Amino acid sequence: MNKKTYKTPEIDDDLAGQYVLGTLTADQRHEFEQRLASSIELQRQVNQWQAHFLSLTDRLDPITAPQPLSARIERSLDELEKQPKPAVQSTTNPLLSFWHNLSVWRGISVVCLVLVMVLGFKLQTLQPVLSEPTYIAVLVQPEDKTPGWVIQTSHSNQMQLVPLGAVEIPAGKALQFWTKAEGWDAPVSLGLVKKGETLKVDINKLPPLTENQLFELTLEQETGSPTGKPTGPITSIGRGISM
Amino acid sequence: MSSSTGFDYEGVLQQCATGDRRALMQLYEQEASRLLTVVTRILKNQPLSEDVVHDAFIKIWKNADAYQQELGSARGWIYTLTRNLALNALKHTNRQVLAEPEFLLDLCDNQVLASAGQADDMTELAEDHLAQASLQTCLEHLEPERKLCVLHAYVDGYTQDEIAKLIDKPLGTVKSWIKRSLNALKECLQ
Repeated sequence: MNKKTYKTPEIDDDLAGQYVLGTLTADQRHEFEQRLASSIELQRQVNQWQAHFLSLTDRLDPITAPQPLSARIERSLDELEKQPKPAVQSTTNPLLSFWHNLSVWRGISVVCLVLVMVLGFKLQTLQPVLSEPTYIAVLVQPEDKTPGWVIQTSHSNQMQLVPLGAVEIPAGKALQFWTKAEGWDAPVSLGLVKKGETLKVDINKLPPLTENQLFELTLEQETGSPTGKPTGPITSIGRGISM
Repeated sequence: MSSSTGFDYEGVLQQCATGDRRALMQLYEQEASRLLTVVTRILKNQPLSEDVVHDAFIKIWKNADAYQQELGSARGWIYTLTRNLALNALKHTNRQVLAEPEFLLDLCDNQVLASAGQADDMTELAEDHLAQASLQTCLEHLEPERKLCVLHAYVDGYTQDEIAKLIDKPLGTVKSWIKRSLNALKECLQ
């Protein structure tokens, strides 16, 4: 049906609907949120639009929330309870909001990456400094190229796999670290990644690292791939370069 | 107000505001999967989506006392809070922008819903039976291209820029279609 008699939008209704759709620009959104905070009527309109539109996403096939998620929430609640309760709202506790602020962690990851890139660039272009990494790789998610891990080796004969952000591993699963250089028949496992730990590999046990050598992480059973070769989806992938 | 499933979103938020952790976990049982579904659809990255749902539950817990009856739909309030976290998290991920017209249009097709035999399950989730049913009806009055713009924005969380590129129309056209669609929906829903 082609309605040609649309009214001129009434600013607030228009904005509340657009706010829920997520189509306001960052500035409009920010401005609207400031007004929203002090207007019950606007909040009511937003919730009403949301309730209407929800009927669409209620039809998506539900994804089961993994069990560790509820445990994680419980742990965070425990942490919150340990903090002395602020008088009004715990949202004002800067320490907690820091630890629970996703943007902070994402920001830190980005800073880390930039740091790695900058250091890498400097190391390539400047005179070598003492105990610099000699071999480096950045592993990214295959779909969206988000950097997730950095691999580096130095003269210590160890290769380190360092996460750039929080790592979530589904229950009963593990991330397995693999490498394959040109001419190898199959990838070789370098071990399983434990949550929150930097994986260290003794490179003396490996053939010499080569330019463009492939590194990847795959999602495997908790005990590692049953076949000794990658079987699960690749979560991160990248190639190494010598410095 | 309780929903037709008997789940009392408003009551649960009120209990959370008094510090009753069981209430939050009840809400988790009821809604976590749906919230994760909505967020994952937007971010297309499940680990990141789980982070967002975690943060959403913590924020619901902390802000439950800000919810009052006058604010209307409690379920709407929960999703507004969660979707905002998801939309903010978009800044930190590069997701793929995909056109899935049939899939999206099926989401608001009453016949598809009825033939899939899911109507009862789904409408049970609706907090307000009549209002929810009529959104589907009102969407039917929109031209498919305009309807798709609205669906891409809400269901996928795409920006107007992304939608314009996806459907190969000028940004101005997409903006005006979305505005007009919202006005038409609003008029129809009243």
